[in-house]
Amino acid sequence: MSAPPRPALLAPPEEVSEPPPTDLGMLRRLVPYARPHVLLFGLALGMMPLAMAASLVQPLLIKDAIDSALVTRSADALTSTVWWFLAAITVEFLARFGQVYWMQLAGQRALAKLRMDTFAKIQRLHIRYFDRTPVGRVVTRVTNDVDSLGEIFASGAVMAVADLLMLGGIVAFMLYLDWRLSLVAFAALPPLALVVDVFRRFAREAFRAIRAKVALLNAYLAEQVQGIAVVQAFGREQECALEYEGINADHRDANYRAILYDALLYSVVESVAAVTVALVLYYAAIRFAGLPAGETAVWVGTVVAFYEYIRRFFVPIRDLSQKYTIVQSSLAAAERIFGLLDRDELDAPQVEAPAPPADLDEDEVIAFRGVSFGYREGTRVLDDVSFSARRGEKIAVVGATGAGKTTVTALLLRLHEVWDGQVLVEGHDVRALPPAALRRRFGVVSQDVFLFAGTVLDNVAIGDADPDRARASECLAQVGALDLVERREGGLDARVDERGANWSAGERQLLAFARALYADRPILILDEATASIDSDTEARLQRAIERVLSDRTAIIIAHRLSTIREADRILVFHRGRIVEQGTHDELIGEDGVYARLHRLQFEAPAREPAPLAAAGVG
Amino acid sequence: MALGVAFLLLTNAAEKAIPWLLALALDALRDADVDATRDYALVVLGLAAVMWGVRTLSRVWLFNVGRDVEFDVRNDLLRRLHVLGPSFFRRMPTGEIMSRSTNDVAQIRVLVGFAGLNVVNSIIAFVSAIALMLALSPTLTFWALLPFPLLVLVTRAFSRAMYVRSRDSQEALAKLADRATENVAGVRLVRAMALEAREYARFEEANEGAVRTTMSLVTLRGLMWPVLMGVGSIGTLLVVWIGGRMVLEGTLSAGEFAAFHAYLALLIWPTLALGYILAVVQRGRAAFERVAEILDAEPDVREALAPRAPDGPGALEVDGLSFAHGDTRVLDGVSLRVPAGGSLAVLGPTGSGKSTLAALLPRLSPTPPGAVRLDGVDVTELDLRGLRAAVGYAQQEPFLFSTTIERNLKLALDDPSAPDADARVRHAASEACVLAEIEAMTAGMATVVGERGVQLSGGQKQRLALARALLRRPKVLVLDDPLSAVDAATEAEILAALDRAKTDRTFVLITNRVAAAARADRVVVLDRGAIVEEGTHEELLREGGLYARIAERQQLERELATL
Repeated sequence: MSAPPRPALLAPPEEVSEPPPTDLGMLRRLVPYARPHVLLFGLALGMMPLAMAASLVQPLLIKDAIDSALVTRSADALTSTVWWFLAAITVEFLARFGQVYWMQLAGQRALAKLRMDTFAKIQRLHIRYFDRTPVGRVVTRVTNDVDSLGEIFASGAVMAVADLLMLGGIVAFMLYLDWRLSLVAFAALPPLALVVDVFRRFAREAFRAIRAKVALLNAYLAEQVQGIAVVQAFGREQECALEYEGINADHRDANYRAILYDALLYSVVESVAAVTVALVLYYAAIRFAGLPAGETAVWVGTVVAFYEYIRRFFVPIRDLSQKYTIVQSSLAAAERIFGLLDRDELDAPQVEAPAPPADLDEDEVIAFRGVSFGYREGTRVLDDVSFSARRGEKIAVVGATGAGKTTVTALLLRLHEVWDGQVLVEGHDVRALPPAALRRRFGVVSQDVFLFAGTVLDNVAIGDADPDRARASECLAQVGALDLVERREGGLDARVDERGANWSAGERQLLAFARALYADRPILILDEATASIDSDTEARLQRAIERVLSDRTAIIIAHRLSTIREADRILVFHRGRIVEQGTHDELIGEDGVYARLHRLQFEAPAREPAPLAAAGVG
Repeated sequence: MALGVAFLLLTNAAEKAIPWLLALALDALRDADVDATRDYALVVLGLAAVMWGVRTLSRVWLFNVGRDVEFDVRNDLLRRLHVLGPSFFRRMPTGEIMSRSTNDVAQIRVLVGFAGLNVVNSIIAFVSAIALMLALSPTLTFWALLPFPLLVLVTRAFSRAMYVRSRDSQEALAKLADRATENVAGVRLVRAMALEAREYARFEEANEGAVRTTMSLVTLRGLMWPVLMGVGSIGTLLVVWIGGRMVLEGTLSAGEFAAFHAYLALLIWPTLALGYILAVVQRGRAAFERVAEILDAEPDVREALAPRAPDGPGALEVDGLSFAHGDTRVLDGVSLRVPAGGSLAVLGPTGSGKSTLAALLPRLSPTPPGAVRLDGVDVTELDLRGLRAAVGYAQQEPFLFSTTIERNLKLALDDPSAPDADARVRHAASEACVLAEIEAMTAGMATVVGERGVQLSGGQKQRLALARALLRRPKVLVLDDPLSAVDAATEAEILAALDRAKTDRTFVLITNRVAAAARADRVVVLDRGAIVEEGTHEELLREGGLYARIAERQQLERELATL
């Protein structure tokens, strides 16, 4: 393959990192998962010698059949040999099935446990982890990685043990038949082992090269697709195609090499069986030279049996390297899984919480005392923030994007730990409460409503093991969404697609309000949506908000003028600090930040999305 | 291919000759003809060597054909992707394209290589083994082949049941993945509402379903091999029993018996392989259809029949340009003029169609004929490469390849190894106000960007894309929102860079920043696909329309930011 005329976009070569050596420690970590199923594993392993014996006795029986025909010349002996043969086939069948079945059952159960543990771990990881890690990668740990670890049970290490056992058994049977003939047959083994080893080493090298090339090939193609407009705009189609062809050719050539070594390896094993047969025949010819015709007939059956054993001998040898590869990729998967299980940045870990301050008023449901916090070292998002909300009070939080509004709510739920100061909920430092107990005090309606795939009822009555249909209907009616739901096929049981894709943004909001009502929690966190919705839904939402807010303490990241106006108090955040505080009229009177924000938001051209709307969740 | 088949034939001949020779040798051994036995042994040895060679060659040949096909399909795929336009990439997401050009291409390769080998091999093996068996003993052949129809039936029944159960198992695993995906995607809701226990229970339910369906598949798979082997063994059993009697009666020699038994053993694998091949062929066909969907996709931007090279100073005219994505009208009768060397800003809110307008100028989208003219010539009549060289375009979200900064920039040069290339790159980088930052990096121009290298800031990427566009020295420069991801300080620098960039060329700036638009000779305001205002910055401010309102608002934002 000709090299591309010049480098276009190929990244400079990267050193191919050596895969970490097979880690016995990794296997050891799997032991706790295997231990509860030790009986099943034992059964499966117990089946192995049985299957092996039943399989290996078959050539012996063929020898007997030949002997009974040639040597003893007895029809009865032949018939009984046939029955034994049938028995051997049946036992082999049952034993093999049992081996596979029990092994898989034990393996699948162990995997299921590992999967649950991984899932449980995900539930406990710090929220930061999810900000950094794409959803796909997290999910892969529970799905693909666990599956590929499962290959170890399906076809990897365990079957390699069976193969080795089989090899030992074959050797034993051959020695039992005729030790001198066996030694002759084994004469072909050391050179074979050498040849196999050499080829395998070459093949492994080629396979490693292939893996590197495949990664390069896919990365290049993916980039071409993503950057297709750039390639087209600069008219670089030809150069890129040539470069890709170069990588593609390298990939193909590496494959040529792998195919060659693999074919040599595969074929040598097939041929060595024939070589061994030749050796055995040659040896028989020398050994029996000069014997009369009748005497040599005794050996015919033995030679046939040898031929059969030798054929069975080489197949496992050939497959060992393949199994080694499977074990390697399984262990790589195990490494990724345990990497996740070993992460120690936990969500809301147990810590020694400072006592609540003495001057805390019993009526203060929520209180921030000198709270400072940032997502990254050195960058404060909240800086010495103090405020409190009394029972039943509605607090509106306003400010430009990045002013720290959403952070306030995240700290209330203790999704992050404060750097300094204290967050208090119902008189307790949030760190003193178990996270579930803390979070069950809050109802949250966020701007970006998340609906689970399922039914309307599932989503409204979420978290309720025994959903109350009447109550769900009542909640929907209260937020003014019942007619919307009943218009859909199935009513309460109407389908909700993945992430609520079959419901409009406004409808999703209404469902979220119904959910909050159903959950009936004393404190409400409301991140008001600003997405443009039609006026009908807008009116419904207005009612829903009023309904949900009544009798509750609420923190509202407010965007609607009406919500802000009706709030008992407005906190104006600017660059992580509360710069103004008061009612709407008071703040407008001050003509400070709030007054400007207010102008910016409510006097802006209708079609330009307000920057206030883009409140990042964090 | 033919050569591969020939090697395969030779392999089979050698393979089949060995049991035959074994028969002859054993009979010679029985008759104490030691010399003959020894000769046969030597012939077997020779055959083994020949077999090694030809078997290797046949596998190499056939598997390489598969790799060659893969190589060609991959190249064709990229070349096709290169001519396809945005409508295709909207229809088929990157993940889908990648999956088709990896998994599906691999399936095709398996179909050509592995299945090809096995089909040919199975046919040869069947014909030759049965012929030889018939030659040894027709009666015994009848008994030996008796269970084969049963074997075929059993294989079919298994493959059908297997299909159903693997589908169920796949579905269960997909459900498991869905549950996990949903959980991770909704992690905030789960945390905020303390739904962990519910999620755990739901996942456990899916997990149990996965174990159940997997076990049912595994049970079937576990049964399949032993059952097939068992059915196959019935033949062996019959041969041992009846063949043994024939040896007793003297109608068959012991050597022939042994050879016969060996041939029967050679038949079992090809029979089992046939069922497998059927599956591979079916999968390969489905894969081919999926790949063909890309290969046969029609490009929506085509080279003109008699393309003309653009030559002129770069005057741009747009006349009644309308454009729609499917049923959604994006541009509606847009007309504008930029004289050669002049500058125009297109300003409008998100979704007003300004990026679509930018992409239509160099025909990165299917520009309707007659609507856009470069120096008086309809762009659809111009040579595509020439047009795109004349109309430089930098997209809104700058895309950099994960290679060095230098290579990313040199992408714009027709001859990147020219002696003045480095100087031009540095000049363009300094014009785009990014040179100092590049040189501050430890590896300088050789810094690798993206996933495997340094993560550049949005503003740095914007300016690199600008440098890349400037490096091309286009007659017309179209910049799509170069200020979308930069802070105030960088904004000032880019604005300065734009001032320099717009001299000596026709300049079209797509933006939603009034500060940038103010630098152009003229401004058009686009709203919902139509031009609503047009004039100079000052004129538009005086008019007090949409432009003026946006300007006021941005002024307020700036004040707030500097508070």
